[in-house]
Formats: sequence, structure tokens, C-alpha cells
Amino acid sequence: MATVAAPGTQAYARPALLDWLTTVDHKKLGILYLYFTMFFFAVGGILALLVRTQLAVADSSFVSNNAYNQIFTMHASAMLFLFIIPVWAGFGNYLVPLQIGAADMAFPRINALSFWLLPPAGILMFAGFLVEGGSANAGWTAYSPLAQQSGSGMDLWIISVIILGVSSTIGAANFMVTMFRMRAPGMTMFRMPIFCWTMLVTAVLQLLATPVLAAALTMLFIDRNFGGAFFDPNTGGNAILWQNIFWFYSHPAVYIMILPGMGIISEIIPVFSRKPLFGYKAFVFATMAIGGLGFSVWAHHMFTTGAVLLPFFSFMTFLIGVPTGVKIFNWLGTMWRGSITFTTPMLFGIGFVSMFLIGGINGMFSAVVPIDFAIHDTYFVVAHIHYVLFGGSVMAVFGGFYYWFPKIWGRKLNETLGKWHFGLMLIGFNLAFFPMHLLGLDGMPRRIATYSESGWEALNFASTVGSFLIGVSMIPFLIAVVAAFMRPKDQPDDPWEANTLEWGTTSPPPVYNFDELPEVRSERPLFDRRHPDLAGGGH
Amino acid sequence: MRRYGIRKTIRSVATIGIAGAASLFAYSSAFAAFGQPGGVTDEARDMHNLYLVTLAIAAVVFLAVQGALIYIIIRYRRGKREDMPAQIHGSNIVEFIWVGIPVAIVLALFTYTVIVLNTVERGADEDDMSVHVQGFQFGWEFTYSMDNLGPERSEAGSDEEFSIVGAGLDSPELVIPVDERVEFQLQSDDVIHSFYVVDFLYKLDLVPGRDNRFAVTPRETGVYQGYCAELCGVDHALMRFTVRVVEQDEFDDWVEEMRGGGEEAVSGASDTTSAVREP
Repeated sequence: MATVAAPGTQAYARPALLDWLTTVDHKKLGILYLYFTMFFFAVGGILALLVRTQLAVADSSFVSNNAYNQIFTMHASAMLFLFIIPVWAGFGNYLVPLQIGAADMAFPRINALSFWLLPPAGILMFAGFLVEGGSANAGWTAYSPLAQQSGSGMDLWIISVIILGVSSTIGAANFMVTMFRMRAPGMTMFRMPIFCWTMLVTAVLQLLATPVLAAALTMLFIDRNFGGAFFDPNTGGNAILWQNIFWFYSHPAVYIMILPGMGIISEIIPVFSRKPLFGYKAFVFATMAIGGLGFSVWAHHMFTTGAVLLPFFSFMTFLIGVPTGVKIFNWLGTMWRGSITFTTPMLFGIGFVSMFLIGGINGMFSAVVPIDFAIHDTYFVVAHIHYVLFGGSVMAVFGGFYYWFPKIWGRKLNETLGKWHFGLMLIGFNLAFFPMHLLGLDGMPRRIATYSESGWEALNFASTVGSFLIGVSMIPFLIAVVAAFMRPKDQPDDPWEANTLEWGTTSPPPVYNFDELPEVRSERPLFDRRHPDLAGGGH
Repeated sequence: MRRYGIRKTIRSVATIGIAGAASLFAYSSAFAAFGQPGGVTDEARDMHNLYLVTLAIAAVVFLAVQGALIYIIIRYRRGKREDMPAQIHGSNIVEFIWVGIPVAIVLALFTYTVIVLNTVERGADEDDMSVHVQGFQFGWEFTYSMDNLGPERSEAGSDEEFSIVGAGLDSPELVIPVDERVEFQLQSDDVIHSFYVVDFLYKLDLVPGRDNRFAVTPRETGVYQGYCAELCGVDHALMRFTVRVVEQDEFDDWVEEMRGGGEEAVSGASDTTSAVREP
């Protein structure tokens, strides 16, 4: 329907490289975000394989203890700070303006700044491997006073994370203004696509929480370099203070890492079930509740410090399980009595629901404080976080890739390869992480460079095999991407019969996004246009 | 036609169920250790019961929801028909019910949690035996004071002490009597460590600048593995120890033996140790 060749675009033609380096187009920036984050997903993944290789057998000496501490610290830092948090900014950048029918983000130049802060931050963090003492090695949690002892790689890590925090914070403000001010005519807040809602709540969390992290990191930097006395008891500081401030950011950050993923599969599941999201408003309120309650549960990471009002944080942690559970029912309700097709994006969506369910249930064990006394800082917790962030977030990332690939690049990823990717990843993932529950219950502490217990060997070996299977599952994905790029852009506006506005323009969209906007009378404007007889009944 | 559809559904569900059960069975040797150890203290047994209840609830929730998911994706997959399903946007009643069920579950679990928490965290009495646990990079020092070995054994006013020190692969052993309440007083002067005895189902951090303590009543003799559970630096993985729970007579003998060690024991070079704490 739309024509790509707009008058005037030729006037601004620039060399491609210069164009990518100076662009303020939200779509190009979104693509840059996606390339950047997928690169660090690969880096973090390789580090994970090093970790698993070391732990495959007892008393292993594949890497030294010191190297191991650097490797797992950088694995987590890359995956959390350089992959999962910015990958949502990538999807958000590309999709939020399109989904609300806007021409761009509210502040395009600030948007470019948000992205261009990332590469120097990534370089700084990994430059730690080049300095004396190596990279940061105190875990991504950088607990003090341990973090006071690390070499200058820790300072690079601190500066890097502060820069990433600035990127997140200004990006958050940009998303909020965009969604509050630039929605298409007819698009009330309660007609916004669910992905936008989850990006909005994520942005609020980032705006409120990330500056707290920046403050904590600045204090840690002062402690390390200028004789501050914030967190080191030997100089009059308080070690628990670091944990309180750090987790005041980092627990909401867990929701920053998962909410947009929930948004993505809430776009995918209705499309491939041919039904609206069951309980749209309940889903929005549940998202807000998770965001709000997310600020009141931070100390559940600190149950074994002896410095926490245990019943309060236990209760709040239980409470946050309720809106999370409600979402699972929303997705089941959507598929119930639907007409389900098992496209690759849908498989990842179903995989998300199935695996995130486990990540929710095993999380409840930690809310039961006396159980947490046993499983805290063991592999049980490692299993939990990976069921949430891999079984949840990473599933959603790939679901989103397969789903929006035709829109972003105008080509479709091969379905057969996609199904191989999904199947291998699902099996590898469960083989890698399910045994960790058992290892944790049996007492294996996390973050140990080696172990001597022969009883742990079989499970650890299974886990290592699983992790390499995850690595193998990336092969069909990469082949599918390369194959897609070797084909012409042949995708129609709306290859999936989808619901939201981004499918109402060409694939890929023109620079200015829309030639004409479909009418918005519900949260599914494109569905309404396809099925005028069934329109209405929404919000 | 309709009957055929249902039968096909049942067959698909059965196939998946059998495949799942078969893969679990294939796994079973590796999964033999499934679940938490039973625990060897009064507190651990309470906590283990709480774990079993939580596990049961978790299993029911998992099977119900995962089962519903599998049923739904099989039952409502798109066949050859191209008809549009009814556009159901939600249902207040259904939504109230499924908010209510998790609320009920978490309220029940929370109540049980608080009950067990109060038992586990009730601490020690004035005259209960206590052991001072000092964590350091990368080992442990367990110190016993003669005026603090429980009502039967203590020598009031005595300032005699003996310690067991171990670091790295030469891990120290902490010895306590069975059926007696013992308090552990945890201290660290360098970084945060965590005192974790697997069969106590319990760990508590050693936080520089904090006086953390907890008490247990061991009920089974034996040797139990302990670890540092908080990342504390390069040799964190090697910061292991054992706890030996012995009969009370045996403990008395052990105390006398350790006291006999005299200066050596005080300085930390008992027969169970060789590594000396770094300055």
C-alpha cells in the first residue's frame, strides 16, 4: 500500500557508513542496538561455555581460579548490561514509534546518544582483560569489601556500568515522552500495544532505579580510588549498605530485563492464536503492579546477611508472585479456544510460557525464607535466574527476531531452520539448567571455580553438554539469517496477519514510517481493518 | 468427525506424556539425588518439612499449568479449517478466580514460613555452648572458650581457649556434641564470607563489622560438609570445612585432648591443622 520512494529523501543521500554513524532514525538506531547486543550475546555465550568447560569435571584446571572469577563476572556483566537490557532498547527503538503510529522517537538525537554510549562502555568493560590484575572479578554484584581488592579492571567495569546507566536513563525518558505525547489519533493509553506498555513500565523503572546504581557505583569508585569510607568496614564504612543500594537498583533491574520480553510474547501469542490478548487491562495492571512491587523486594537477595527484616521482604516477594502468575493465565487464556499455528515465533512464545513458569515456581522457593537459607548462593539460584532470563528473556528475544525480521529487514527467516533452532535450544537449555536445581539442593555453592565432590560430576557434565547444545542451536539461526540476507526483500506489509500498526506500513518501513495511518479504534487496529465485522469489543 | 478429533487429542497427549516419562526415567540415575537432604538438626528438620510442603505445592502448580498449556496447544491448534475463533477479550469472573488462587497459595505459604522462621531464628540461651567462627581469605578458625562450653562443661571465669585453623585444601573440622544447643558466632575481618553447612540446610554470612550468630541443635552424629557460600576472592572454591557431630562423651574427651595441646592448640596448630593463618 505504501510507497517507499518519498520525495526529498534523495536530497539527504550520504555514504552508507556515514549514514549509519550519524543516523538519528529510530529504526536504524534500533538495528544498531540489535547488532551490538547480539554481538555481546555471543561474547557472553562464549564466556559461559568456558565456565561450563571448567565445571564439566571435578578438580578441573582448565582455567585458573583467578581467570574463572573474571570469566563468570564478565559473562554475567555482558549478558545483563550489554545484552539483555539494551536489546529491549533495540526492539523498543525500532517498534515503539511504529506501534504507536509516530514518525520517530520524541528526541532523535538523544536517542542516538543513548546508543553511541554503548560501544565505548562495552570496550571499557572488556579492556579489563588487558590491564594488570585482569578484568572485574568480584561477580556482577561487586560486593564490597571484596570489590575493593580487585585490580584496575574493576574501575573500568564501574565506569562502564555508569555509562550504560546513563544510556538507560536518557533512553527511558525518551521512551516515556514518546509514548505519552506521540500516539496516533485514537490511540488511548489503553489501546497501546502491550509491548509498548511493558516498555513504558520498564522505562519508569529505569528512570527511578538506574540513578541509584550510578550513585552506588560512584561511591564504590571513590572508596577504591580516593579513600572513601562508604562500604569498607575497615575504614568505617558499612558492607551491607552496598548490598542495600545495589539491590535497590538490581531487583527492579530484573524486571527491566524480563518485562519487555513478556510484552513481545504478548504480541506474538494473540497473532498466532487469532484471538485478542485475554484480559488486556488485567495484564497492564499486573505489569504496573510488578513494577511497583519491584521496589519493595530488594532485600530478598540478602536473607542470609542477618541484616534484613525477614518477614516483610518474604511477604512482598510472595506478593509479587501474584501479578506474575496472572500473566501466565493471560497467555493461557489467549490460546484457549484459539486457532493456533506453530510458526517459529509462536514456538518461542510457547517456550517462554513453559520455561518462565518453571522460573516463577522455583523463584517461590527463595521467597520461603527458611528454604532460602539452604539454597541461597547455591546452584539452585543459578537455575532460577537462568529459567527467568534465558527460558524467559532470551526465548522472547528470539521470538521477537523471527516475528519482526520480515518487518525490519523485509525478508523472512527460514521456518524449518527456525524450528531446529528452537528445538535444539529448548533441549539444550533444560539439559544445561535443570540439573542445577539438584546441584544446588545438594549444596553446590555458586561461583566456585572447582569442586571435588564426585557426586556432582554427572549433573555438572550433563549441564555442560546442554550448554554446548545451546551453542549448537545458534548454527541454524545464523544460517537462517545469512540465507535471508541473500534473498531479495520480498515480504508484504503484513505477512503474519498481525494486529498492531507497524504491520500497516511497508516492510521495511520508509524513513518517515507511514504514508497513511489505519484508524485506531481498539488495541488491534489492523485486525479491525481486516475484519470489520468482528471489530470492537476491545478497549 | 468430532470423536476422531478428541481421540487424536488424547493420543497426542499420551504420546507426549510417555515421551516425557521416558526421558525422565532415562535421567533417573543422574537424578537420584533429587531433593533436599533431610537435615540433621532440629531446625533443619523443620525447614525440610517446609521444603516438602512447598515442593508439593510447586509440583501441583507445575503439573496443572504445564498440563493446561500442553492441552491447549494440542486441542486448539489450527487444523485445515480456516474459521475465525470467537473473539473473547477477557472475563472478569475468570480473572478474579485466577488472582484469588495464587493469593490463597501465597498467604498459606507465608503463614507457614513465618511459623518456621520463628523457630529457626529463636537463637541461643545465655548458657548454651558457643563456638566462635572466624572466616578469612581463604580458610576458617574455630575457637572454643572453656567458659562457654555449655552448662555441664564450662569453667566459669576461665579464659582458656583453643582453636582449629585450616585453609585451602587442608580444611578444618569443627567438632560439636549431639543433642546440645550450639551457637555459632560468626566474624570476618577481611571480606564477606558465608558459613554454610549443607546438612544444617542453613547458611549465615560473616559480615565484617557485624555480629552475626545462629544456633542449632544437632540430632545425628556424623561428618557434614561445609563451604564458604559467598564469593570471597581467588580461592573461594577451596574455602571448605567439615562439621563433626559426636556423642557428648566423645566431645568431652576431644575437649580434654585439645586442651592438652596447650600452647600449640591455642596458636592454632592442633593435629587437625597445618596451615597457619596469614597475617
